[in-house]
Amino acid sequence: MLSKTLKLAAAVTALSISTAFAQDVQEIVDKASAAAYYQGEDGRAKVHMSIKDSQERERTRDFVILRKDIGDVDNGEQRFYVFFERPADVNKTAFLVWKQPHADDDRWLYLPALDLVKRIAPSDERTSFVGSHFFYEDVSGRNPDEDNHVLEEETDDYYVVRSTPKDASDVEFSSYKNWIHKASFIPVKTEYYDENGEAYRTYTALGVETIDGHPTVVKSSMADERIGGVTEMTYSEVAYDTGLPEDIFTERYLRNPPRRELR
Amino acid sequence: MNVLPSSAAQKPGLYLWGAALFSLILIALVAAPTFAPRAFSFLEPLKVDTDPENMLSADEPVRVFHNDMKKEFNLHDLIVVGVVNEKNEDGVFNTETLGDVYELTKFAETIRWTDGASEDAAKKGVIAVDIIAPSTVDSIEQAGLGSVSFDWLMPAPPETREEALAVREKAERIPTLNDTLVSGDGKALAIYVPITAKDVSFRVANQLREKIATFDGDAEYHITGLPIAQDQFGVEMFKQMAISAPLAMALIFALMWWFFRRLNLIISPMIVAMVSVIGAMGLLVVTGNTVHIMSSMIPIFVMPIAVLDAVHILSDFYDRYPSIRDRRKTLDHVMKELWQPMLFTTLTTCTGFLSLAFTPIPPVQVFGVFVAIGVFFAWFFTITLIPAYIMVMPEKAFAGFGMGAGDKETDHEATPLARFLHGVGDFAVGRSKLIVAGFLLALVVAGYGVTQIRINDNPVKWFHADHEIRVADRALNDRFGGTYMAYLALTADEGDALSSIADDVEKRLTALGTPQAEALAASARAARGTAESPDAFLSALREKAETELDAAEADEDWYAWDDAVLALDAASQSQEIFKQPETLRYIEKLQAHLETTGLVGKSNALPDIVKTVHRDLFLGDEEAYRIPDTPEAVAQTLITYQNSHRPQDLFKLVTPDFKKSVLWLQLKSGDNVDMSAVIADVDKYIADNPPPAAISHDWFGLTYINVAWQQKMVSGMARAFAGSFIMVLVLMTILFRSPSWGLLSMAPLTVTIGVIYGVIGLIGKDYDMPVAVLSSLSLGLAIDYAIHFNARTRHLYEQIGDWPQTAKKAFGEPARAIFRNVIVIGVGFLPLLLAPLVPYQTVGIFISAILFLAGVATLLGLPALITIFKPILFRKRRTQHAV
Repeated sequence: MLSKTLKLAAAVTALSISTAFAQDVQEIVDKASAAAYYQGEDGRAKVHMSIKDSQERERTRDFVILRKDIGDVDNGEQRFYVFFERPADVNKTAFLVWKQPHADDDRWLYLPALDLVKRIAPSDERTSFVGSHFFYEDVSGRNPDEDNHVLEEETDDYYVVRSTPKDASDVEFSSYKNWIHKASFIPVKTEYYDENGEAYRTYTALGVETIDGHPTVVKSSMADERIGGVTEMTYSEVAYDTGLPEDIFTERYLRNPPRRELR
Repeated sequence: MNVLPSSAAQKPGLYLWGAALFSLILIALVAAPTFAPRAFSFLEPLKVDTDPENMLSADEPVRVFHNDMKKEFNLHDLIVVGVVNEKNEDGVFNTETLGDVYELTKFAETIRWTDGASEDAAKKGVIAVDIIAPSTVDSIEQAGLGSVSFDWLMPAPPETREEALAVREKAERIPTLNDTLVSGDGKALAIYVPITAKDVSFRVANQLREKIATFDGDAEYHITGLPIAQDQFGVEMFKQMAISAPLAMALIFALMWWFFRRLNLIISPMIVAMVSVIGAMGLLVVTGNTVHIMSSMIPIFVMPIAVLDAVHILSDFYDRYPSIRDRRKTLDHVMKELWQPMLFTTLTTCTGFLSLAFTPIPPVQVFGVFVAIGVFFAWFFTITLIPAYIMVMPEKAFAGFGMGAGDKETDHEATPLARFLHGVGDFAVGRSKLIVAGFLLALVVAGYGVTQIRINDNPVKWFHADHEIRVADRALNDRFGGTYMAYLALTADEGDALSSIADDVEKRLTALGTPQAEALAASARAARGTAESPDAFLSALREKAETELDAAEADEDWYAWDDAVLALDAASQSQEIFKQPETLRYIEKLQAHLETTGLVGKSNALPDIVKTVHRDLFLGDEEAYRIPDTPEAVAQTLITYQNSHRPQDLFKLVTPDFKKSVLWLQLKSGDNVDMSAVIADVDKYIADNPPPAAISHDWFGLTYINVAWQQKMVSGMARAFAGSFIMVLVLMTILFRSPSWGLLSMAPLTVTIGVIYGVIGLIGKDYDMPVAVLSSLSLGLAIDYAIHFNARTRHLYEQIGDWPQTAKKAFGEPARAIFRNVIVIGVGFLPLLLAPLVPYQTVGIFISAILFLAGVATLLGLPALITIFKPILFRKRRTQHAV
């Protein structure tokens, strides 16, 4: 009788511990997502992108990225506006993203030379972002609710979280691992694993600075072993809470870029 | 008797055991590193090379360019899995077949491994990311509400008939996939599996076959592609060496038994042939050379030549023994008579093959050198082992041996064969003019035939028409644009880039009309004279403008400088030739032209991608299937394309700097004549229609490589043949110490080679690799008979001094030896007709034909010519020593 009670107690304890642990992980990944994509109410940065292929041939893209969090809710709805400046032949090309945490994002593309605003049908977001090694989802952020997370390891500086997709058919990875900086919750490294458990794609935060009180990744890279090569993004003129008006994140502004905000 | 044969006759054991030891050592030297590579890493193992690329040396410019381009455009060797479903009414587009295809693709993605335990070792196997299959390529399509969708063509196995048919419909809308991934009739699709290197294809293909074996659908699977063909070739090559060559050996053996009736005696030529082949092939492997399509033919070439001299000795011995009745004395007599002809036939044959060392094709060089080595071995072992062998046989074994041995009193010239040959001799002497006229006529007809020769080759056709490789080849070529890939690289020429960029920069800045742009234009004018390069010119200007931009306070100032920087960037981009609409339209026209040739089933190039994306950006409207009008529009179309799962695919068609582009041509035929016709056609098109910018064009791809090596082979062979013809003529003149006898000796081989190649031209047999190589074999074999006949005729004439009497004697034993040779070797090589590879069959037929013709030309032509020219030929007989 006694032993039965003990067993039950042990089981209850174990259950509560694991629940507590699970909550912990959820909290960690939510904070990490917020640190990576939701700093401040809005933000802007100039980005220099260098795409190097397996033969070290370099292509560059320069763009301005504007972001606004709707209602300043972390991991909530967001608007992105990506305005290309260079190379010259894609100057004024623009993307507009309305990110919905629990639905497909709305995406628009503006191609000035074709005088065309095109809506991109909701589909896979794990496709290349303008030919780089980054995916769309890497730029706008993957919703933490799409994966199951396990805290695999805790070091002095990092939480190491293993995330497995809830719907494996949507993604090319079988899992990924995030090294999340304990103090800032900035993910400094992400490794994606294939079905054999081999890492094939690696994100690295190469530089973090505190800007306007927000820890900010100012340089990052994405390498993909399957195709070879690496893309580096360097952020400059980063600013937060500049009071970006919400109406610039509309289709109308694709054709008439808000030059002042983009300067 | 000469030193070597007499020493062999005295110490037969030494020579026989020596030859056995020599063979065993070579076999051990090859076997040890082949079967235990680790223990014997210092030795060269048996290496098989079935790569047709190796017909060109590694530093050959054509090949270097081919490899550079493959690397630059990230192209890999491909295994093609053709899936055909004739049974289902929807072809392959049914849920079951597509489900299997999906599974097979998933499986193929996982085929990779590392050799050994090392973690750092490079991965080998399938390059998963570059697989072209329904589930790995993107489809661009309309998605309602004017939106455009980029998604996998077949993200998951279809579950309904509609879904399955939709895959076909989507794929057919995309020009780069239609007729490449899916066939026009919907009955077939192809999965292209790129591999890290050709040498992994065997393992990859086997794993694919195992997977396919688990499917129980009604689709057929054909695994093909060049790497597979090469693997198959290696397998067939060994079959040839293991089956056809020994079979030829066995038939030669049977024929010799029929002639000489002494089983234990005729084993000796077999031993000579075996030891010579082991010697030549053993040395080939030990010295680190590879067993290649060419070198695998060495045994077949060495064998008849090795048997040839032995048959001469045996034939003479067989004819003489009954009258001499002492084997040592018979041997003395035979070797004295045959020593010089055998030495010279060996020298001339070696010359013929060694001349191949001067062709520019490495495998042909190796072939020539090692056949020559084999011929030398054959000579050495013939003059030592045959006497040694005869001496170790018990004397009583010769009882009742030899021609006419049954009846001592009867002239052994009375057998049917002897009577027949005497008849031939009488005819040749009596009708000399008729015969010479006949040969001249044959040469004239042959001369016409030679002009009709079509130089052509196609390594796929080295397999039989019913071989699985050919079956797959036909199944896929019938349904797709073509499986033979050729690549046309277009490269923008670096013209006077600086002055054109400087002009462009000034024009663009002036057009802006701002004071800031004017200031920058002034700097540009100042800098253009002194700038070292276009890059230096632009970056100096850019630096200046960007400094101003960073310093700009007022918005207006900043905008003006921003525009100026943009103008600089635009000017530098005008050098990106393959983004210019006029260049793309030019390529488009070239592609359309290629498809009118009937040789190019389909081509894929950059314009196809631009047009497809452009069309689907404009609601899929077919009118929008065109190249847009500005380079910016092209660039924006392409950046849209790159927002896909496979952005890297763009750079398989153009380099990132847009200064090189490549057209993928799918040819229906891999025949060199067809590839050459396409090359000539493109040259003409480009000459007639100059491109809008200075562009040079070059070919690469294996279909082109084959043309390149064939051209080298043909010209190289012609030179080698001319060279060895002259060398042999010189040797003959020295041998007979007479230019007229030298020339006379060349007559049979001239007729033989002329007629052989004339017939090739007349019957329309393509002049291909084996046919080219046969010229050196004909030279080597045809001269042999002439040497034997002439040497012994002169020998007889020295004793007799009267031509008709000499001719009678010559048509005794010497003619019989030649005749036996023709039959033994000519018929002996017919089993090659059963060989699994066409080149070996060609060699088999032609060896037989060469021997037959050379025999006829020698036995009819030489006596006829001697009869006509005897005043010249026998002029100095009194002052000359016998040869």
